[in-house]
Amino acid sequence: MALLMVPLWALTAQAADKMNCLMCHKHRYIGRIDANGKLHNYNVDETMYRHTVHRNIDCHDCHTYITKIPHDPVTQTVNCANSCHIKPPFSQETFSHQHIMTIFNGSAHGRTPEDSDRMRAAKPDCIFCHQNPLYSKISEENLPEAEALRRCQNCHPQGGVIQAFQHIAHRLRKKTTRAPQQIVALCAKCHQDSERMLQLGASPRAAEAVESYNHSIHGKLVRLGSKKAADCISCHASSALHDIYKKDNPKASINKANIAQTCRQCHAKTGDWFIDIAVHPSPIHKDNPIIYLMSLFLQLATYGTVISMVGLMLFETFGRRREGIRLILFNGSSWHRPNKHARPKRG
Amino acid sequence: MEQSLDTGTPKPAPTLDRSMGEDGYYTFVDGVGHIPRDIYKHVQSDPRGDLPRYSIHIVIQHLLIFITFILLAATGLPIFFSDLFWAKHLIDLFGGIDIARWVHRICAFIMMFTSIYHVVTVVGGTIVKLLRHEFDYKRTQIPRLKDLQDFFHDIKYFLGIEPFRPKMEKFMYKQKLHYMAVFYGSFVLMTAGSALLFPDIVAKSIPGLIGKVLPHWVVGNDSYSAFFQDLVRLMHADEAVLALIVLAFWHWMNVHFVPGRFPLQWAFLTGRITREHQIEEHFLEYLNNLREIPEEREYMRDLLKELSLAPREQPASDTILASELSRIH
Ligand code: HEC
Ligand code: HEC
Ligand code: HEC
Ligand code: HEC
Ligand code: HEC
Ligand code: HEC
Ligand code: HEC
Repeated sequence: MALLMVPLWALTAQAADKMNCLMCHKHRYIGRIDANGKLHNYNVDETMYRHTVHRNIDCHDCHTYITKIPHDPVTQTVNCANSCHIKPPFSQETFSHQHIMTIFNGSAHGRTPEDSDRMRAAKPDCIFCHQNPLYSKISEENLPEAEALRRCQNCHPQGGVIQAFQHIAHRLRKKTTRAPQQIVALCAKCHQDSERMLQLGASPRAAEAVESYNHSIHGKLVRLGSKKAADCISCHASSALHDIYKKDNPKASINKANIAQTCRQCHAKTGDWFIDIAVHPSPIHKDNPIIYLMSLFLQLATYGTVISMVGLMLFETFGRRREGIRLILFNGSSWHRPNKHARPKRG
Repeated sequence: MEQSLDTGTPKPAPTLDRSMGEDGYYTFVDGVGHIPRDIYKHVQSDPRGDLPRYSIHIVIQHLLIFITFILLAATGLPIFFSDLFWAKHLIDLFGGIDIARWVHRICAFIMMFTSIYHVVTVVGGTIVKLLRHEFDYKRTQIPRLKDLQDFFHDIKYFLGIEPFRPKMEKFMYKQKLHYMAVFYGSFVLMTAGSALLFPDIVAKSIPGLIGKVLPHWVVGNDSYSAFFQDLVRLMHADEAVLALIVLAFWHWMNVHFVPGRFPLQWAFLTGRITREHQIEEHFLEYLNNLREIPEEREYMRDLLKELSLAPREQPASDTILASELSRIH
C-alpha cells in the first residue's frame, strides 16, 4: 500500500473530526429524498475519508455554517477559500486556498458581476474540477530518489520526511499531477459542447477548441497515451494552474507577448514565425481556400489513383488471360499455360 | 490470335535487330536464330529468377525501404486516425506513443539514408557505365515517348486488337510512372516530415522564403508560417495515405498477385527475373541479356532448335505450332 497517511505536519493538526460529525454521517444510508424525489446520500465513509487529501481538516473548517449538533438543514455551500486550522511548514499562518481563489476569480472562468445568470451557471467552480481525491503514490522514475532522500534523512531521520519529499519532488518535475488525458477530459466536459459555448458568446474558433485540439498533433498524441505532448493546461495556464485567460488579456499564457515562453516549455527554438502556427487547426481546412482546395485535390488524387491503377491491373489481368495464363499454383508458380513445356521438378 | 498468322515472315537481319516494327513476329539474333515474340510461352523458368535484373545494392535498398515503410505506416497511420479504435492498440504494440514516435523518426532517417544511398548508386553506376561507354539511356528509368506508345499498344493488346504485347525495355511504362511517383512522394514526405519534426527550426527559414515568392492573399488571414505548417500537415498525412494505398492495392497486387507472378515474385530478394517475365514484358532487355550472357544464348538456340523454329523453317501458323508442341510432348 502506497497511501500516504501521516504527513509531517499531521503532528500539528488536530483530530479531523472534532465535532464528531461522523457519529451520524458514518451510517451508510443517512440521507434524504428531496422535493423532486431525488435521493441524496450523506454518508461519509470514514476509512476512505482518511485517505483523501483533505483528511487532516476538520469537518467544521469547511462546513463552517454548522455550529451546533444536531444541526439545522443545510442551506449554504462550502467556500474553498476558507482558512482551516492547518499550519503549513515554515509558517505560522493558517492554510487556505485564498491565493488560488484570487487567481481563479480573475481568470476567464471567474464569475464577474456582468455575467448573465446563464454564464454564471456555465462557469466551473472549484468542486466541478476537484473531487477531494484519494492520495496516491507518484513514482519518480527520473529522480535519483533514494539518494536525494538519504540527504534529507541526514537531518530528518523520522519517517514523515519521505512524504514531505514526495510532496515536493513530483511538483518539481511535472506541471500537473493528473495525466494529460484526464486534463483534456476535464476541460472537454464544458468546452466540447460548442453550441452551448456559442450561445455563451464564445467566438466560433473558441467554440470548437476541443475539436480542433483533438485534430492537432498534440491532441492526437495525448489521445494515444503520450505523456510528453501538450494538454490544455500546458498551454493555457502557467504553473499557477488556474490563470486561464482570454487570449487578448496580457496576462494570458496564449497572449502574443507570452506565447513564445509557453511553447518554449517543449519547443526550444521558438521564434517569431513559430508562434503564428495554429495549434487549434481547423479540422476541415475551411479557413484557407488554397489549403482547402489542396486537400480536396489530394483526396481526389487518392481515389483517382486507386481506381485507375486497380482498374488497369484488373484490365491487364483480364487481357493476359487470353493467352491461357491462370491464377493457380503450378510447380511453385502460376505460370501455367496449356501449351507449355513440362517443367523439371525442383526439390 | 488469328491476326498473328500472316505476320510470320522471318526477316534476314545481319545482327541483333532492334528496329523491327511492332508487327515483327520474329526477331533475329545473330548466333541464336529467329525468336518468335511469344516464345515466353515455351521457355523454362525458375520462379526464383533466371536473368539478372537488380544489383545487390538495389535489393538492399528495396529491403530497407520495404521494412521502414511498413514501420512508418504502422506508427504513422494511428496518429492520422487517432480517433479510431484500432489506433491505440496498434501504438501499444510499439510500447506506447512516446516510443512509437521515436520508431517513426528512426525509420524516417533510415529511409532518407536509403534514398541517398540509392541516388549515389544510380549516379555512380551511370558514371561507371559512361566511362566504359556502356551507358544506354533506354535501359534506365528515363521516360521516353516510346513509353506512351507502349502504353497504348498494351491497352490495344488487352482489348484484343493487337496480337502481342509491346516489346519493352528493362523498365516499362508502368514502372517508370511508379518510380517517378516514389521520387515525388518521398520528396514531399521528407520535407513535410522535417517540418513536423522540427517545426521551430523550419519555421525560421522556409516560411520566410515562401513570403518572398507568394503574394499575401494566398495565405489569407494566416501568416506564412501558419499557412506553410497547415500545408505540411496536410501533405505529409495525405501523401502517406496515398503512398500506402498505392503500395497495398497496386504495387503488391501487380507484382505478386497477378497471374504469372503469383504467389511471390522473388526478384526483390534474388535480384533476378524469370525468363518468361523478361521476355513477355521486357523483350528488348531480353535481347540485351542474349548479347551479354553466352549461356542464355545457348539456351535459346537449343530451345529454338527443339521447337523446330530454326530460321529455315517457317511454321505456317502459331496455332499449328501449338498443336505440334502438344504432340511432341
Ligand atoms: C446528530 C446526527 C448528525 C450529526 C452529529 C451531524 N449531522 Fe449532518 N446531517 C444529519 C442528517 C440527519 C442530515 C440530513 C438532513 C436533511 O435531510 O436535511 C445531515 C445532512 C448534512 C449535510 C447535507 C446537507 C444538504 O442538504 O446538502 C451536511 C453538509 C452535513 N450534514 C454536514 C455535517 C457536519 C459537517 C457535521 C459535523 C460538524 C454534521 N453534519 C454532523 C445528521 C447529523
Ligand atoms: C476540504 C473541505 C471539506 C471538509 C474537510 C469536509 N467537507 Fe464535506 N463537503 C465539502 C464540500 C465542498 C461539499 C460539497 C457541497 C458543498 O459545496 O457545500 C461537501 C459536502 C458534504 C456533505 C453533503 C454531500 C452531498 O452530497 O451534498 C456531507 C454530508 C459532508 N460534506 C460531510 C462532511 C463530513 C462529515 C466531514 C468531516 C469528516 C466533511 N464533510 C469534511 C467540503 C468539505
Ligand atoms: C541540514 C539538515 C537538513 C536537511 C538535509 C533537510 N532538512 Fe528539512 N529541516 C531541517 C530543519 C532544522 C528544519 C526546521 C526548520 C525551521 O522550522 O525553521 C527543517 C524543516 C523541514 C520541513 C518543515 C517542517 C515543519 O513542520 O515546519 C520540511 C517539510 C522539511 N524540512 C523537509 C525536508 C526535506 C524533504 C529534505 C530533503 C530534500 C530536508 N528537509 C532536508 C533540517 C534539514
Ligand atoms: C477548470 C477546472 C478547475 C477549476 C474550476 C479549479 N481548478 Fe484547481 N486545478 C485544476 C487543474 C487541472 C489542476 C492541476 C491538477 C493536477 O495537478 O493534477 C488544479 C490544481 C489545483 C491545486 C494544486 C494541486 C496540486 O497538487 O498541485 C489546487 C490547490 C487547486 N487546484 C485548488 C483549486 C481551488 C481552490 C479552486 C477554486 C477557486 C480551483 N482549484 C478551481 C483545475 C481547476
Ligand atoms: C464547467 C465548465 C467549464 C470547464 C470544466 C472548463 N471551462 Fe473554460 N470556460 C467555461 C466558460 C463558461 C467560459 C466562458 C466563455 C466566455 O467567456 O465566452 C470558459 C472560458 C475559457 C477560456 C476563454 C475562452 C474564450 O472564449 O476566450 C479558456 C481559454 C478556457 N475556458 C479554457 C479552459 C481549460 C483549459 C479548461 C480545463 C482546465 C476549462 N476551460 C474548463 C467553462 C468551462
Ligand atoms: C499547444 C498549446 C495549446 C493546447 C494544448 C491547447 N490550446 Fe487552446 N489555445 C492555444 C492558443 C495559442 C490559442 C489562441 C489561438 C488563436 O490565437 O487563434 C488557444 C485558444 C483557445 C481557446 C479560445 C481562446 C481565445 O481567447 O480565443 C479556447 C477556448 C481554448 N484554446 C481551449 C483549449 C482547450 C479546451 C484545450 C484542451 C482540449 C486547449 N485549448 C489546448 C494553445 C493551446
Ligand atoms: C508539453 C509540451 C508541449 C508544449 C507546451 C507545446 N508542444 Fe508542440 N509538440 C509537442 C510534442 C511532444 C510534439 C510532437 C513532436 C514530435 O513527435 O515530433 C509537438 C509538435 C508540435 C508541432 C509539429 C507538429 C504539427 O502538427 O505541426 C508544432 C507546429 C507545435 N508542436 C507547435 C506548438 C506551439 C505553437 C506551441 C505553443 C503554443 C506548442 N507546440 C507547445 C509538445 C509540446
